[in-house]
Amino acid sequence: MSREIVLDCIGEVCPVPLIKAENALKKLTVGDILIIQIDHSCAMKNIPEWAKKAGHNVEVQEPVDGEWEVIIEKMK
Amino acid sequence: MDIKKNKYYQAWFKNAWTYVTGAILLSLLQTVTMITTNDPWGVTGAFANWGAWIYKALGGSVEKWTYFDSQGAQAALSAGFLNDPASMRNLGIIAGALFAVLMASQFKLKKIKSHKQVIAAMLGGLLMGYGATIAFGCNIGALYSGIASLSLSGWVFALFLFCGSVVGSKLLVKFFM
Amino acid sequence: MSETNIRANSNRKPKTNQVPIGIALFTAMIVFGIFLSTKSSKLSLFWILGCCFGFILQKSRFCFAASFRDPYLTGSTSVTRAVLIAFAITTISFTAIKYGASLKGLPMPGQSYIAPISLATVIGAFMFGIGMVIAGGCASGTLMRVGEGFGMQMLSLIFFIIGALLGARNFGWWDINFIQKGVTVFLPDIFGWAGALAVQLLVIAALYILADKWESRKLFED
Repeated sequence: MSREIVLDCIGEVCPVPLIKAENALKKLTVGDILIIQIDHSCAMKNIPEWAKKAGHNVEVQEPVDGEWEVIIEKMK
Repeated sequence: MDIKKNKYYQAWFKNAWTYVTGAILLSLLQTVTMITTNDPWGVTGAFANWGAWIYKALGGSVEKWTYFDSQGAQAALSAGFLNDPASMRNLGIIAGALFAVLMASQFKLKKIKSHKQVIAAMLGGLLMGYGATIAFGCNIGALYSGIASLSLSGWVFALFLFCGSVVGSKLLVKFFM
Repeated sequence: MSETNIRANSNRKPKTNQVPIGIALFTAMIVFGIFLSTKSSKLSLFWILGCCFGFILQKSRFCFAASFRDPYLTGSTSVTRAVLIAFAITTISFTAIKYGASLKGLPMPGQSYIAPISLATVIGAFMFGIGMVIAGGCASGTLMRVGEGFGMQMLSLIFFIIGALLGARNFGWWDINFIQKGVTVFLPDIFGWAGALAVQLLVIAALYILADKWESRKLFED
């Protein structure tokens, strides 16, 4: 059964969201979904980039002005 | 017509550009700066002036400081904020970034989240301000413009900047996360 | 990932359109530029350049702090490599401008940026490196993030100014003890124009390759 974990990084400044996302993803198993909520415009670029390079599925959404959700599906 | 779906709006204003696009455009703008102003781009020099103006407004005096010794520095200080080209450029960076964020409909006031951020911002700001002033500039003036001007000082700055950022990273992970 | 989409859509707040405010700001920026040009064209030129720098920095999320921090902290070097590209291109154009001036027998522009190397450079750069990582942005990055509305960087800008004032206050001490004894090295004086350009571009290219390899090595570790 795959889990869906939400990581609240609203108000966190680079590179904290990325490090938190890395640590959170390590604890998950393949197929789990990690949703990182951010409002730091650099993190909406560097988190998806890192996750793609690491081989996971990534999607970015912008539910509110200046806030993003990076949705990562752990693939390996 | 909905501007939000227009592909040029999306490419120019909504979506983030690649880092390499940024690198090329900054290089172009550095070149324009060098040709038109006779100097490369710098940022921190103006901050020392801002500090001096505030200090003077509070009743302090900087006339005897070596840093503001030169005629140019004295002239800039007596001319004031709105007549200081470098200050206008720094103000422009804030305005340009704000414009970029508004055009993407992504502006949001982000309040300070924790005490850790307060301490990190204060300590980091002090270290940067002091460091840049004694090292003849920041990542722009001393590093980027220094290296591009074929100055060895830019590379020395880069080396110790890297050492500092490793220490800073360790501190960040340990105390400010 | 369809379930996630539904979840995200369900709590979506209505978005505001900030483009009109952006256009209003743009108009104000032009008006301010015209106001500055009545005082001197140099002021409006610097204003326009600053606005362009800010726009480009924000759109590309260009971050000099990240370029030095990420290789160590996260292993990512994409910003680092972009910074190296900027160094390479700007080196070529600055060298051309300086060489052109020297051929015509004119004074070379921007030579005040060839700073003396001393312990002040070493300590200053080291302090700056620590500061930019914990404050989440260097000087240009801090200004850009003030524009983006970050409270944290507004605070760090205030302390940046205080730090700069303290640095200026102590500058005399650094100057007498270290800076005046420092050496100023303009690479063409050592290697010649072509040599300096070649050496510098080779160093940048080597760093680029190193950064690229570093990133793949870090990713394979995981």
